[in-house]
Amino acid sequence: MWVACLLLLAAVGLHAQPAPSLEDRVKAVFLFNFTQFVAWPEQAFPAAEAPLVIGVLGENPFGTYLREVVTGETMGSHPIVVEHYREGKDLKPCHILFVSAGNTHRLPEILQECQEKGILTVGDAPAFLAMGGMIRLYRQAGKIRLQINPERTRAAGLTLSAKLLRLADLSVP
Amino acid sequence: MKRSDSSIQKKLMRVMLLTSGAVLFLTCTSYFVYEIVTFRQVTEAQLVIVGKMIATNSTAALAFDDSGEGEEILHALQADPQIVAAGLYDGRGKLFSRYPDSLSYLNFPAAPRGDGYAFSRSHLEGFQPVVQGDKRLGTLYLKMELSAVYQRLQLYGLIAFGVIGFSFLLAYTLSRELQKVISEPILSLAQTARVVSQRFDYSVRAKKIGNDELGLLTDAFNTMLGQIEAQNQEIRTFNQSLEQKVRERTHELELANQELKRKNEFVRTIIHSSVQIIAVLDQQMRYTAINKSFEQLYRVDRQQVVGRSLTEVFPQTKDTQVERDIREALRGNPVHHAVARSAVIPGYFETHFIPLKEKEDVYGVLLVSHDITRIIEVNDQLKKANQELIRSNQDLGQFAYVASHDLQEPLRKIQVFAELLRHKRHDETETQRYLEKVHAASGRMTTLIQDVLSYSRLARTEESLVETNLNAILDQVKSDFDLLIQQKGATIICSNLPVVKGIPAQLGQLFANLISNALKFNRQNPLIRITVRELPESSRALYESLSQAQAYWEIQVIDNGIGFESQYSQQIFTIFQRLNNQQTYSGTGIGLALCRKIVENHQGVIVASSEPGKGATFTVVLPQCIAGIAAPSSE
Repeated sequence: MWVACLLLLAAVGLHAQPAPSLEDRVKAVFLFNFTQFVAWPEQAFPAAEAPLVIGVLGENPFGTYLREVVTGETMGSHPIVVEHYREGKDLKPCHILFVSAGNTHRLPEILQECQEKGILTVGDAPAFLAMGGMIRLYRQAGKIRLQINPERTRAAGLTLSAKLLRLADLSVP
Repeated sequence: MKRSDSSIQKKLMRVMLLTSGAVLFLTCTSYFVYEIVTFRQVTEAQLVIVGKMIATNSTAALAFDDSGEGEEILHALQADPQIVAAGLYDGRGKLFSRYPDSLSYLNFPAAPRGDGYAFSRSHLEGFQPVVQGDKRLGTLYLKMELSAVYQRLQLYGLIAFGVIGFSFLLAYTLSRELQKVISEPILSLAQTARVVSQRFDYSVRAKKIGNDELGLLTDAFNTMLGQIEAQNQEIRTFNQSLEQKVRERTHELELANQELKRKNEFVRTIIHSSVQIIAVLDQQMRYTAINKSFEQLYRVDRQQVVGRSLTEVFPQTKDTQVERDIREALRGNPVHHAVARSAVIPGYFETHFIPLKEKEDVYGVLLVSHDITRIIEVNDQLKKANQELIRSNQDLGQFAYVASHDLQEPLRKIQVFAELLRHKRHDETETQRYLEKVHAASGRMTTLIQDVLSYSRLARTEESLVETNLNAILDQVKSDFDLLIQQKGATIICSNLPVVKGIPAQLGQLFANLISNALKFNRQNPLIRITVRELPESSRALYESLSQAQAYWEIQVIDNGIGFESQYSQQIFTIFQRLNNQQTYSGTGIGLALCRKIVENHQGVIVASSEPGKGATFTVVLPQCIAGIAAPSSE
């Protein structure tokens, strides 16, 4: 028990981050919701029970919230897991990669690499799409809105639900 | 009018209308119910489909928190004016989007309830889930107004009512015409039947319409009427002949009855006028009929006898021959007795017991009996007279024998000695001896003739009986024999003798003969004892000729003389019968025969008993007269 508490304290101390804002929590739920409206090709999963991985690159604005949201959830037969990558070189094979606004280092290359690997890239930087991202989350009239570049998703071999596209701003910058 | 009494026309119409009415009503009702049920089902199914489309479309709006997009999707429901309200609730149950915009959120349920739709009075409302993949994102609420549905159902009802009414009218019109096909022949048949039953007119015929079952019925009815008519005629004819026959039979019966009565009367007259006794007894030996002779003879009345049994009427017949004979006859065997003594009254009868049979079964006995008492009596008298005649004949024979022998013997002596006298008339002494011999022989002859005369006189005597004192008779006899008693030195011991009814001279002769016998056949001084007693009833049976109803005296004369062999005890009473030779004991052989004759004249009996050398006892039995024993005479 004491050991567990110590470990928890150590983890909290290690990240030393404040609790995520409401906006970040909505974004975490959106990240999870994308798994329901996007279809990955067959070869994206090495096995039927292979996990669907949501990766967070660089700064993690969600804290442990995203992990809590996806706990116990699945996409079809695939359990959903969250992984965190400190830098571009830490990247491992995943299905959705979220890049927060602050991470711009070597971003276009990473996004390009992701598109080639069939990874859905989501970000909230204003120039995220311009840098080669696929879905940008932005704030409008107190609500989080979506901007999608459907050509890139199509090029990545991903199929986005028409219902999702209806909600999104599809104007490419 | 009761329903069962109404005309067949009305019944038929009622049947048709009721049937078609029921069918129409049931059809329309089930159609209507079916309409309601399917309408609801279809309405609900359609609403569910619409809901599903809306829900599918609104998943992204809910997932990505776009209520404007949600409202836009709900606006598509404008196409269906019956849907009056719709709303989307998010995963936490908060109202997310609503339709129409004008409707306040207060008109929506605060939170979604369980999935599924429910009908209220005027609406169909409910919830259905909003699902993306297998994840539930929220809930859709829909509310549909049903007034249009109900309007349509009302229209259906009106149409159904109209159809029922029209169909009923059509059925009425049709049945009115169609029932005639069946009712008319029946009514015509009924009319004919009424005419037949009211007027008893079997000549009418029903009109035949068509060749169906009713046509057959009409034919059958007409045939039946024809048969009844024919049978009626037959019955009438038969009745007439029957009446005639009855009249004839009655007449015949009357004649037969009269004849029978006449015969019956005839038989009755014969039976009742018959001198024979006629009686009929049934199986229980009860008298069923008796005739007048029966009544007269047994002194009974018909009413007392008929119906009662033999032993009831005559108890003395129980276990007698009559009862046995009747039983035998009841077994079927006729019984006949030529002579039978009656068990009921004194007398003799010839009786027939004849079984009365009916087909081998004996049902009674006819008893025919003829009173032959008088014949028997006369027969007895005849027998007696005959015996008398035989004895008299025997007497005559003996008399002839005496005439030829006993009388001839002294006569022959007289002839012999008279011849000798003629040859020796010179010899005085011889002559004297022969004359004496002739005298003695002629004297003996005189005695013989006198005895025979007295015997024959005795047989013919008709003198009347008078009360006679035997003591006086015996005294007279003793004095007559006084000299002889003295010569013989005899003693006579005599008890007191009774008075009897008799002929005094004959009774004197009886005792004289007995005492003379006792004195004569004796070699010593004779002792003669005379005793008397009443004859005991037990001894009366010893003498068959005595009457059972009469009392008797028994008088015995006992001597101590030479006696005789007991085998001669009967013979000695026969005339001219001598047991001893004439040389030793003189006598004619008539005395004891005379005694028997005298005693028989007095309805008595005489017997003798003896053994040689031991004396003899003569027993005289005489009837008692009412006077009883008389006082001894003074001498």
